[in-house]
Amino acid sequence: MTTLRFKTVLLAGVLAPVALVFTGCESTQVRNVDSKGTQALNTSGINSQDWANAADQLVGSLLSSGALDRAPVQPSVLAVDRVLNNTQLNIDTDLLIKKIRVALTQTGKVVITNTMGLGERAVVASEAAELDEMATGKKQKIVAPHFTLYAKLIQQSDKINGVTQNTYTFQMSLINVKTGNTVWEDEREIAKQSKKSAVGW
Amino acid sequence: MKPSPRLLTGSLAAVVALLVLSGCATNVNSVQRAQPVATPNYVSDKRVITDNTLARTVRVNSVNQTTVSGNLLKVQATLENLKNDARTIRYKFEWIDQDGMSIGSPNETWKVLTIMGRDTTTVSTVAVNPRAVDFTLKLSE
Repeated sequence: MTTLRFKTVLLAGVLAPVALVFTGCESTQVRNVDSKGTQALNTSGINSQDWANAADQLVGSLLSSGALDRAPVQPSVLAVDRVLNNTQLNIDTDLLIKKIRVALTQTGKVVITNTMGLGERAVVASEAAELDEMATGKKQKIVAPHFTLYAKLIQQSDKINGVTQNTYTFQMSLINVKTGNTVWEDEREIAKQSKKSAVGW
Repeated sequence: MKPSPRLLTGSLAAVVALLVLSGCATNVNSVQRAQPVATPNYVSDKRVITDNTLARTVRVNSVNQTTVSGNLLKVQATLENLKNDARTIRYKFEWIDQDGMSIGSPNETWKVLTIMGRDTTTVSTVAVNPRAVDFTLKLSE
């Protein structure tokens, strides 16, 4: 009788933690994290910190070069050209470009024109200019940009002994509209290695 | 002739020591000009240490600053890995205006940095806001 009771207690003692573990798997825990903080997830793709890091380094390089200061007027007018995404990732390139636009605008060194280029910003700006022209009867004078900014994202994947390395290259060029010359360009690389677990399902 | 246990133990210890030392061979040798031409504008700094382990691993040797594009502050810190193997840390720059108010930057984020054993490297950033006059460099493991 005593042995039976002992076995029952032992079985309950084993089953209870197992049941807790399995029920624990069903719950979803959600917490807020700082996307730019140390708790942000590091993935094999480009995460929020990588975008910010690339943008910070490219903006730092552009400002340090003094290329924007050589425009005939200050602040210079900048048009953002398209961003070519040659990675395997389906990403919105505004994740990079918007950060660069915001940073450059904060410097007060440039104003970014939206009356040319691709995307919904250019369409809305052009329509607004047309509407203003219709309302006032005056042809609006659109300021031609001094510079255009062009960017390209490239991914290179290498795999050795189960370790995969994705190297993402962020290339950027500033072109003087009058001469067509590239007055600044730089690139930054972020390499990420990932190893698939030997046991996984 | 049979080798003595002491000899065997000694040989084993030597092999292990050799393996350990060769495994740590990530140190960096460097050469530079004996009399540097550059004249950095060093910043007198104040340090707050809350992680002694990190402070014993990576040391900030110096901080210097300059101005780029007319009125934008650029800060550069020289970091040294005090250990014999490569170490990865995170760092972040924060900017402060004339009134002591923090200036948020769209690209202000923790960045990952790996420094080889006994090597020194520099990290730098440009304040995109002309109102930035002071900075804080934060390091974390």
